[in-house]
Amino acid sequence: MKIAYKALLITCVTSLAAMTAHAHHSFAMFDRSTEVVKTGTVQRWAFNNPHSWLYINVANDDGTQTLWSFESASPTQLIGRGITGKSFEPGTTVTVMFCPLRDGRPGGGSGWVRVADGQYYATADGGCNGTEENIARWKGWMKLGYTSNKDAQAAGAK
Amino acid sequence: MKLAKHPIWIGVGLLALSLGSTGAVAQQGAFGGGYGPPLKVQASQRTFATSDDHYAYLLKRANGGTKHTLASVPRWDGLWVAAGNTHMAAFIDTGNLGGKVIQGVLTPAYEAAYKERWRQQTEQGQVDYDRLGECQPPGMPRFLLEPYSHEFINLPDQSYLINDFGPSIRRVLIGKQHNNLYGTHSWYGDTIGFWSGAQLVMSTKYLYPADFTRWSPMTSNQFESIETWELKKYPGGIERLEVQATFYDKHAFVKPIHVVYAFRHATDLQKADYRVAHWECEQTNNTYLDDQGKSNFHLPGEAGFNDGRGQTHFPQLPGQSRDPIYNTTLTPGAN
Repeated sequence: MKIAYKALLITCVTSLAAMTAHAHHSFAMFDRSTEVVKTGTVQRWAFNNPHSWLYINVANDDGTQTLWSFESASPTQLIGRGITGKSFEPGTTVTVMFCPLRDGRPGGGSGWVRVADGQYYATADGGCNGTEENIARWKGWMKLGYTSNKDAQAAGAK
Repeated sequence: MKLAKHPIWIGVGLLALSLGSTGAVAQQGAFGGGYGPPLKVQASQRTFATSDDHYAYLLKRANGGTKHTLASVPRWDGLWVAAGNTHMAAFIDTGNLGGKVIQGVLTPAYEAAYKERWRQQTEQGQVDYDRLGECQPPGMPRFLLEPYSHEFINLPDQSYLINDFGPSIRRVLIGKQHNNLYGTHSWYGDTIGFWSGAQLVMSTKYLYPADFTRWSPMTSNQFESIETWELKKYPGGIERLEVQATFYDKHAFVKPIHVVYAFRHATDLQKADYRVAHWECEQTNNTYLDDQGKSNFHLPGEAGFNDGRGQTHFPQLPGQSRDPIYNTTLTPGAN
């Protein structure tokens, strides 16, 4: 039981820490009311200050690929969440939940990243939600086949 | 045992609530708040017409200051991160989001400008534009709340206050007089100081116009600060570097502003063997101000995209990629 308590406390602290936006710019470019998931192949994980960026190639229905760019928090924040410069290696498959750019270009603010072994990493800065609660909600939605929070909510999915 | 009724859950709930409010505070104004006891402003009972008068008074009260040696100068070793501040309480009636701009703290022009910035923050959840998106350094007073890592190195004749953003370094010249050799202002200006026992008292002048942070008021080229830095220890092993500050700005403030900032040891970063590295915003940042007046990003393949992990200007030579580990290229593909 002790372990369960400890895990709960860690979850609680991690979730709330992830909510704290410590960024060097405004997040006005992201639509934080919209959450989308996409799966693709990592092209680059740039574990950079002032912000990290994850670039993934996503296959389109017509067989082409689009390079998607996702802004993430700074290394100073991500290290505390167990993320390093080697967490997302090029060529590996990842699923990213993000809040899209308002102008529709292929990019957004990342919330979290699921890697091939099923582990989730909260990469969020202030541009999207990367809390444990959000991850738990999305686990349910993805099981039902949803890739957009608005679709899931419109269908009444919990 | 039914978990829902167990006392631990009440504790967890209270923890969640307290941390939740901390998160909200941190997001709005008090970066890293909630560590240690609440920060309290210790404003001087005296008023001073200028920061020079204020500094002279403090120096006289300290009998010219403590002459430390390498053996006696206070040590603030290790990595530090911001641990809250009270600056929002000086300008917003609730000290946080949901509040209103306090009338009469800022001069009319600065108050009007700040009300528009605060309107964006409260209505949109974000301001449209942040000057740091253009890779301007934090400057002062923003240096005091920047969320990246910090190092503070004290020597008898000089202290180095370092923020890895930029990186930015404030040099505190102990026992010196202000001197504006360049005849112009700069992001960190000129800082002189003295020790009063374990307290480092400093005066900063000749600063560029800047701001407290992006949802906070702007400051002018007449902004000047008097700061007293001291390491405080509290029960539970809490160590907090506290900065009592009085800010003067004849263009922006109706009267001087008293605030307190804090830093805590970044033990999590130290355990992770975090290394402060040199980084340049211009190299890795792709933020720009779009024609709607909002911050936006250049993406790979677009004009203006800055590939921070790309090649130098000599790509024909071996070993000219900036990232020898992955050496990846960004190909936009069939957008």
